[in-house]
Amino acid sequence: MDISFSEQDLQFQEEIRAGLNGSEFPSNVREKQEKGTALTKADMIDFHKFIHSKGWMGYNWPVEYGGTGWSPVQIYLFLNELALAQCPTILPFGLSMVGPVIYTFGNQQQKDRFLPDILEFNTWWCQGYSEPGSGSDLASLKTKAVLEGDHYIVNGSKTWTTLAQNADWIFCLVRTETTQIKQEGISFLLIDMNSPGIEVKPIITIDGDHEVNSVFFTDVKVPADQLIGEEGKGWTYAKFLLAHERFGIAGVPVVKVQIEKLKNITSESNDADLSRKIAELEIDLEALEFTELRTLAAMAEGGHPGAESSILKIRGTEIQQRLTELFVEAAGQYILPYEGPDGFESNRIPAGPNYASPSVAQYLNYRKTSIYGGSNEIQKNIIAKAILGV
Amino acid sequence: MNLNYSDEQNMLREQVLKFCETNYDFIDREKILDSDSGYSEENWKQFSELGWLAVPFKEDNGGFNFGPIELTVLFEEFGKALVVEPYLSSVVMSGTVLEGSNYPKKTSIIEKIISGEHQVSVAYAEANIGYNFLKCVTTVSKDGDNLSLNGSKSLVLNGGNADQFIVLANHENAPALVLIDADVKGLSVQSFKTLDGQTCGELTFENVSLNAESILALGDEAETLFNRMIDLSILCISAEAVGAMTSSYMKTVQYTKEREQFAQPISNFQVLQHRMVDMFIETELTKSLLIKATLQLDSDDPEAANTISALKVQVGKAGRLVGQHAVQLHGGMGVSNEMSIGHYLKRFTAIDSMFGNTQYHINKYQKDK
Repeated sequence: MDISFSEQDLQFQEEIRAGLNGSEFPSNVREKQEKGTALTKADMIDFHKFIHSKGWMGYNWPVEYGGTGWSPVQIYLFLNELALAQCPTILPFGLSMVGPVIYTFGNQQQKDRFLPDILEFNTWWCQGYSEPGSGSDLASLKTKAVLEGDHYIVNGSKTWTTLAQNADWIFCLVRTETTQIKQEGISFLLIDMNSPGIEVKPIITIDGDHEVNSVFFTDVKVPADQLIGEEGKGWTYAKFLLAHERFGIAGVPVVKVQIEKLKNITSESNDADLSRKIAELEIDLEALEFTELRTLAAMAEGGHPGAESSILKIRGTEIQQRLTELFVEAAGQYILPYEGPDGFESNRIPAGPNYASPSVAQYLNYRKTSIYGGSNEIQKNIIAKAILGV
Repeated sequence: MNLNYSDEQNMLREQVLKFCETNYDFIDREKILDSDSGYSEENWKQFSELGWLAVPFKEDNGGFNFGPIELTVLFEEFGKALVVEPYLSSVVMSGTVLEGSNYPKKTSIIEKIISGEHQVSVAYAEANIGYNFLKCVTTVSKDGDNLSLNGSKSLVLNGGNADQFIVLANHENAPALVLIDADVKGLSVQSFKTLDGQTCGELTFENVSLNAESILALGDEAETLFNRMIDLSILCISAEAVGAMTSSYMKTVQYTKEREQFAQPISNFQVLQHRMVDMFIETELTKSLLIKATLQLDSDDPEAANTISALKVQVGKAGRLVGQHAVQLHGGMGVSNEMSIGHYLKRFTAIDSMFGNTQYHINKYQKDK
């Protein structure tokens, strides 16, 4: 066993760091990230185009599809550097979700058509999984696709669709057949968001933000060549996607950066109680980070992360949520005046630290993390079944 | 020992419950939050007509001479419906200070508060002193023959609507509570929405001139009066939290019975049942400390201050647990602003932050006990 990174890995890290600190990094994104204000759609596109220009966009893709072919350790270091440089998160919907499904299960025509645009960020994807009646029990989904000639006709609705308001395309799980076993009638369909019959309605979350949406489909015509793989195999692809999308799920690097911020805040106020709580959280984070490294090491040896990655999701979100609580505690009573995630305009500033309003917004917003992506209860069921065998 | 509410207290509870059922569903409340003042003037008028604004005041001042028990009954019911009308600031906080002061015109002000036509807010917090309210920087100083007030106050509940303010200030190194009009020269008020949909104001004083009469209390007397006000306020928002916890767990139980996943109501799952049991247990434990603190405060027990701290700690911890579990068990619906459940979490978060958060009261309890 050897805990250190190789010379090459460290050199790689240096290259990434230099690239992120270079002059090509979009200044609009940097300014807003430093101030903590929300990024617009245009900012997000600038950021992703920058990552692409460095050749890093396919950081978790194999070389044959235009990816970097990086080792798990390199991916880990890359994501770490992104967080340290206070970059926004690379959107997972195209790159980490639908992309791998397309290059693994799609045909050549689909690969040629969709993969380059994902890498260049010419298309913004969103995920059509959850439905009003299908949350944890995802396989009970009802959105229907009926084949008529060379088109599917899609009817139904999806919900909690993150950033659908910006999306050009949506990948959907749809029911193409009513079967005894509910998982068997599900198919994986790519749908152009500009298709007639699609309506996107905002859902405002408790922090006052518009991040998620309902998406309604009324007789939406979808060319049959936008079906991935085989009809009725959608559930298999969805499960593949879930297993694939485990990199960075624990959110360790971002938490690390946030903890440093919080430590600066508490050292100014000399708050011993809060310092102790931060130390406890850092210890939790160390255990989680090394668990993630163990998973990476196993993958580097050719292993596949199994249900163990549920540990990363559960503990990762618990730590993220705890961190938001500590920020709120640090702000004390000054969390009362509220202006949402962006904080106050400069001509209207109430008393208290400027992180107060964004902190409480984050606290409320992060309640979602233990609910989405398979709720933490579902993750525990997975561990119980797949690892403990009970 | 008798831990039963009187018939009169039960009737009051019934009355508030009925009012909230008729006038305070989630949609009514949303409309109120969207209004300019952030509360309903119509409701405030009804509070007055129903006699609620007179609850804690002495009979000499036109009140019902009720005490902490009746106030907690009111607030528990307010908490169930997340009532936003400025009862805490205008009746409990300013009422306690006014009534305990020797201010000669206090009866006429209290009468106007009771009739609903006049609102007074207490300005107790400042920018850089955290929860050490008495260490304030805002100062009353001699200005020739007159007195003048300088400085700023923060987080003044209902600050944008109040007709008068009671300001905690420093006067010759001793605390002073002074009364000023909202339209007095040299005072500026900026109003903000709070995280839970209420409003608070930032006050700035620039040579606001005072006469001797506007000093309601000074020195030890001011400190005692101020601390009594804080204790009673903590008691009231704790009762509100108990009401909000009760609603939260009941709504969650209801939701899990209706929500079906895996071909059955999710309330069938034991892990969720246990979560809801935890919510219930925390609510009951909070209620116990609430009643203990209420009775001690009612009988001027010297232990009351410690119990108030214990209560505030329990409210902070239980509010967080109940609020977070309620959201989690509602799934995506829990984080949607269109459902009431997330608004309870916001209120718990606000309540924990006010008048000393959980950690502050753990330390206070440790020090004083």
